[in-house]
Amino acid sequence: MSCGLRDVLEFERVGKPAVLVASDVFTGAADKQARMLGQPAARRAFVPHPVQDRTDDELRELARSIVDELVAALARA
Amino acid sequence: MALENLEILDPTPERAAAGLPLAAPMRGEARIALVDIRKPRGDVFLDELERLLAQKGHAVERTMKPTFTKPAPADVRREIAARCDAIIEALAD
Amino acid sequence: MALELVALVKHDCPVCDQLLPVLDAAAAGGAPVRVLSQSDAEETAGQAARLGLSFVPPLDDELALSQRYDPDAVPALLLLDGGVEQGRVEGIDRGRLAELAAQAGVTLELDALPERRPGCASLTRDPRVAASLAARAARREGRIRSRPIEIGGLEDPFEALFDRGLTDGLPVVPPTPERVVAMLEHTSRDPGDVVGIVPPYDGEATVEKVAINAVMAGAPPAALPVVLAAVEAACAPEFALHGLVATTYPAGPTVVVSGPYAQEIGMNAGGNCLGQGNRANLTIGRGLQLVVRNVGGGRPQEEDRATHGQMGKVGSCFAELADGAPWEPLAQARGVAAGETGVTLMATEAPRAIVDQLARDPDGLCASLALALESVATPKQRLAFDALLVVGPEHGRVFREAGWDRAQVQAKLHELTHRRAGDVVRGALGSPEGVDPRFVTDPEMPVAKFAAAERILLAYAGGDAGLFSMVFGGWASGEIGSAPVTRSIEPWR
Repeated sequence: MSCGLRDVLEFERVGKPAVLVASDVFTGAADKQARMLGQPAARRAFVPHPVQDRTDDELRELARSIVDELVAALARA
Repeated sequence: MALENLEILDPTPERAAAGLPLAAPMRGEARIALVDIRKPRGDVFLDELERLLAQKGHAVERTMKPTFTKPAPADVRREIAARCDAIIEALAD
Repeated sequence: MALELVALVKHDCPVCDQLLPVLDAAAAGGAPVRVLSQSDAEETAGQAARLGLSFVPPLDDELALSQRYDPDAVPALLLLDGGVEQGRVEGIDRGRLAELAAQAGVTLELDALPERRPGCASLTRDPRVAASLAARAARREGRIRSRPIEIGGLEDPFEALFDRGLTDGLPVVPPTPERVVAMLEHTSRDPGDVVGIVPPYDGEATVEKVAINAVMAGAPPAALPVVLAAVEAACAPEFALHGLVATTYPAGPTVVVSGPYAQEIGMNAGGNCLGQGNRANLTIGRGLQLVVRNVGGGRPQEEDRATHGQMGKVGSCFAELADGAPWEPLAQARGVAAGETGVTLMATEAPRAIVDQLARDPDGLCASLALALESVATPKQRLAFDALLVVGPEHGRVFREAGWDRAQVQAKLHELTHRRAGDVVRGALGSPEGVDPRFVTDPEMPVAKFAAAERILLAYAGGDAGLFSMVFGGWASGEIGSAPVTRSIEPWR
């Protein structure tokens, strides 16, 4: 997760909005890391844990449930 | 002198809390890069995201990070940033 | 000519008590006599009152003059010409004092003094004072730049360091400026030099910050160059420290030290080298992990997501045995110049024992070692893991006597850690894990455990008795994960 948040901030630094999607076990860690890397508002969205054990259909449902949030995050000032 | 203060040196990097600006927001039917961090099962999730974003009118480009254990190499990031307006990186677990 | 007599005195020196009234009288009469006290203001004023002096001697600030002229004993009477010393008398010696004073055109009333009396030790000879002065000088000169943290006189410094989250769960040595300066004596590098950028929060590990954490770890100061090289290696991109800190896998950095400096600093390459008891072994590994925690910011259950972790994440470091080794040291095999000392860092889990008490030939021994190597992570895991095999001396003798070198042993172990695909495919042996069946066209095809022979790193260490070797399983290996990194310690000495 933490490598992904760094990527996201690197994209932001070069002017491209970027959002990380992670399992919700990482909400606390992501908040802390965003603060520590100097950007508490780093764009991030979470899907309910677990991920690895889910069927393909469940994963597609997760995508459907989050896509609007992702677009909104990228479109947010 | 038991009651004197003890001075020790800070073992941390003593960083100042910075406030980095976010990039300008995505506008309209932007071209979106979907970056797969290559954790297992992420591809199924991203396939569906790609389909849904395309339905919403976005051009979508798929890339993979070489490994989830390190941040993306600078040249990979540069290429993505050059071609796309926004990035979604998934799926970290 | 600017001749003057300058005296250095202490408040708790009876010999100074005897000479001071004499110097005070001369100064009061207009003679070019200056007295400077090594004691503090309160102590000096007390002495002056006690002796009934007409002047309270000013203080030798930061013991600057005392350090410059460096007397062994006080009272020290110096004859200075424009600051340049022309002569001195330490303690009382009436004849020599009279002679010295005469050169400055001064007459001292010495009759009441003993003929001779040795002085007391100058305050600059007190080691604690010397350390404190060195620390203050380091701060003034910008060699120490870290923010001071004050721990109140009523706080227990050990509890205070726990409370501030700066420890790995064990007590740390409070990193006072004196201890950090003493640690920094063992590198010629500038304390501001950057050793590496530590993930996950890109903390800048300067030589000074590494020294502070090395003090906290309890490292002997001579070990600093090894800790510095270990931090440098850990921050190399190919080591993937960010991923290693963040992983759910129980891996941490293991430091293998090869070369003569290991022995110089008292490291253990022999009996119980992977266990307790040796300060250098334990504290070098710990120093690196404290840098990861305090400079990088990676903490358990936050950035460090290890499911279980393992004890080696407190610190994992040992030295290789030079004598009797079947092959060259690991650092030299990986590019460090002959005769230099190097560190090799590898992401590993905790070590396990491998028992072979019967093999007399290298083929048989390799077969036993291979059985254990197969089981890194479980035999179902193929190609994803590397290993560090620590060959003990009783096993090493088998290879040495057969003339097998490193490459030969690696090749044999690689060959012997192949299994038929049918045994390692998903579902085989009842275990759902294993090789994806899409990649198995023929159940008889051999599947390697390791991606290449060179992925089995060989080190040589251990006690003389015991037919054991040890295997440290690796972590996500190769291009997609962490690769072992070797660095010479010489640039850090």
